Amino acid sequence: MIIRLKPTVFLPFKAFLAASLLSISSIAQEIGNYEPEQAWDGNPDINGVWQAMGTAHWDLQDHEASAGLPEMGAIGAVPPGQGVVVGGEIPYQDWAIEQKQANWDSRPTGDPETKCYLPGVPRATYLPYPFQILQGTDKMMIVYGFAEANRTIHMNVENPEPAPLDTWMGRSHGHWEGNTLVVDARGFTGEAWFDRAGNFASSSLIVTERYTPISADALLYEATIEDPTVFTRPWQIRMPLYRRLEPNARVIEYKCVEFSEEILYGHLMKREESED
Amino acid sequence: MKCRSIKVSSTKLIAKLIAAIVIAFPFALNAATPNHIQIALSSTNEAVGWYEEYLDCERVVGRNDAVVCGETNIEFFVGRTVGGSQGSAIDHIGFSVPDLDAKMAELESVGVRGSGVRLIRFDDGALVRDIPGLFKIAFITDPWGTKIELVQDEAVIGFHHIHLNSVDPVAALDWYNQVLGGERASLKGMLDGVRFGDIWLLATQFNDGRPGITQGRTIDHIGFQVAELDDAAAEMNQLNVDFRQDPMVPERGRSDAKQAFILGPDGVMIAVVEPGWEGIEEEAFSADNSDSEELYIVPRTPWGEPDFQGIWTADAAHGIPLQRGVGAGEAGELTPEEAAARRERGTLNSIWGYDREWRDTTLGYVRTAPSTQAAMIIDPPNGQLPETTEAYKQLVANAPPRIPPQRARTPVDLGTYVRCITRGPVGMMMPSIYNNGLQIIQSPGNIAIQKEMIHETRIISTESREGYGDGLKTWLGDSHGRWEGDTLVVEVRNLNGRTSYLGSSADMKLTQRFTRTGPDTLRYEFTVEDPAVWTEPWSGMFNFIRDDSQYELVEYACHEGNYGMTNTLSAARTIDAREAEEADYQE
Repeated sequence: MIIRLKPTVFLPFKAFLAASLLSISSIAQEIGNYEPEQAWDGNPDINGVWQAMGTAHWDLQDHEASAGLPEMGAIGAVPPGQGVVVGGEIPYQDWAIEQKQANWDSRPTGDPETKCYLPGVPRATYLPYPFQILQGTDKMMIVYGFAEANRTIHMNVENPEPAPLDTWMGRSHGHWEGNTLVVDARGFTGEAWFDRAGNFASSSLIVTERYTPISADALLYEATIEDPTVFTRPWQIRMPLYRRLEPNARVIEYKCVEFSEEILYGHLMKREESED
Repeated sequence: MKCRSIKVSSTKLIAKLIAAIVIAFPFALNAATPNHIQIALSSTNEAVGWYEEYLDCERVVGRNDAVVCGETNIEFFVGRTVGGSQGSAIDHIGFSVPDLDAKMAELESVGVRGSGVRLIRFDDGALVRDIPGLFKIAFITDPWGTKIELVQDEAVIGFHHIHLNSVDPVAALDWYNQVLGGERASLKGMLDGVRFGDIWLLATQFNDGRPGITQGRTIDHIGFQVAELDDAAAEMNQLNVDFRQDPMVPERGRSDAKQAFILGPDGVMIAVVEPGWEGIEEEAFSADNSDSEELYIVPRTPWGEPDFQGIWTADAAHGIPLQRGVGAGEAGELTPEEAAARRERGTLNSIWGYDREWRDTTLGYVRTAPSTQAAMIIDPPNGQLPETTEAYKQLVANAPPRIPPQRARTPVDLGTYVRCITRGPVGMMMPSIYNNGLQIIQSPGNIAIQKEMIHETRIISTESREGYGDGLKTWLGDSHGRWEGDTLVVEVRNLNGRTSYLGSSADMKLTQRFTRTGPDTLRYEFTVEDPAVWTEPWSGMFNFIRDDSQYELVEYACHEGNYGMTNTLSAARTIDAREAEEADYQE
């Protein structure tokens, strides 16, 4: 009887391991024998302008269509979508389930995206805008359009020092494992959300991202989310990223500050009095 | 943690100053004495003054390029550097003072006066750390990038130690002991080293790959003095020491001293010197590394484009006025002292109410010496903005008065900089009182320029491509780049015209030119063509200075932390309410 308790306790973790093994093997099948183009250093060339498709920016999990702001009509409504969370479940601790609900309730003004705040990781990846990867000689940079977010990925640093301070976009260290770019991102403020549904993490968040070319025009993006403050175990999201094929595809600066000022400062503004 | 790759590009460079530390000792064979240390900088005289003022060294009589600190000479020469000492095989040098707390308080108060002192804080913010069983320690860098440890070791006051980085500290110390003598010992039983008289040679395990070779860094080499160089060289040859220069009397040396160069563990360049008769010193000592007239060869990326990658700052350019003062000489440059004073004035007055706690220059974060450039404008040649057009003068005359912050109705009244939107396509490149970093990362055909202030990133494509159509305009526009030789030329198109630089209109045409003119110098030139405002085009320039060794851009989450906006608007509404109350009272 006593012995049986232990497997029960560890079941979620084992289940996670099984799920991750499963996903790795299916990825291997997906990648098949694809050999990506090489950059100057022999690693895969993932330079270019990329974008996620889908509705992960609305909600990482399966979601039905639902109402948005009435004055926006159908444009403001939430479209239905399939989730990107491996296994479907986000393993929140009990308190965090309540917090997620509170985030959902407050989302018209509480979502950092509404306020034009830096989106954090992994959210920046699947916002519905293109981003550009630049593979430099000892660093990489990812430039996102929204709020002009930006990440420097410090490559091949052994024993990296902890982030000197917490930031919205965190501190990223990367290296190549075969054809996969593995990026460790941590040092976050904990104020960013994952999506418009209020999924969230804390400042103890560690995101391990894997970018793997699966064709000339697609990357498989996987991010493992660890945050012992908020979740009961690590979990993972997976989605493809697609190359923007337009010959003139560009990341366009999206300076969204001015569109957030009404929400942030409206109560402090002086309205011009009407003449009538 | 540094992840820079050192790209040494042969010996051509613009003059900087290098110092060599020569530590002089009486010599017994196989017991060399530290003779000198050499450091790179931009003015030997300025460096002599700095080491005299802050580290109690004394100018070597008759010389403007060397100080003696106790028994140790520090020699400076104008040469090129590829970075500060930290992370190179000679990480830093140490000085001992009787009262470290008082010393650091003194240095903290220096700020930007003169050449400035850069303080390095521990991770808890403190300047001084007391190591139990050892002594108190603190770190600073000199204005040219040499890291200096200050300790409070009563046993020795003055020049105290040379601290090496090594992949194998034990082997390195054994090598110095075997080749150059000294005494293998332990400092307070805590730090292994080799003791040369009062001076310690210490070594720390280096875990970040290999430390950088010293040659070309600000501590270029160290020197040890021997009585008979030929004998010492013979012994060293038996130990298979790597000679980089056989014993010789340098041509045009200040004396007939004989010297050789050997390479120590981890790439430490070491001079071995036999003192000579110094009667010929008036033959102006010209540093043999200062071949500054030679052409600089711009390094290339692995895919063959000029390589601008790295971290640069506009700190040196802070304080350069856009226009030359009327009556100032044609090409007049400032002296270093005038430039330092100008930068301090500039940082004092740039933003109302920003006390010294806000300013990178006064906080000692700034490593670069202030630019001596008289003004940014290089065309027209008189350094003045061209005449404005009649239409523009009319526009200004009829413009509504500017609304002061305490009257701001909405964020729009406060301007796009205060709103954390942008300083505009011209302004974004300009120096600021803090967060002056600029990072460049390249991929084939693309250059990302990230400005720390506000956080703005432009991706400049150098491939010929279709630009934005007429219907798409943005704050910073569409950057079309091309290479003209080693110069990146950027034409900025499709600007939304919602920001103005000194009156520039929505039809302004902006062209920027970036040229790497030295390992540490990125020349930035900008040309504004705006016939609606100015009767002729005008151009300005300043240099960004490379600061890979210690500067890292922080995330400037400007809008996210814009408490100033809330506070300003809230104060304006309070003023409104008070005035309304007073008006009611008067009625």
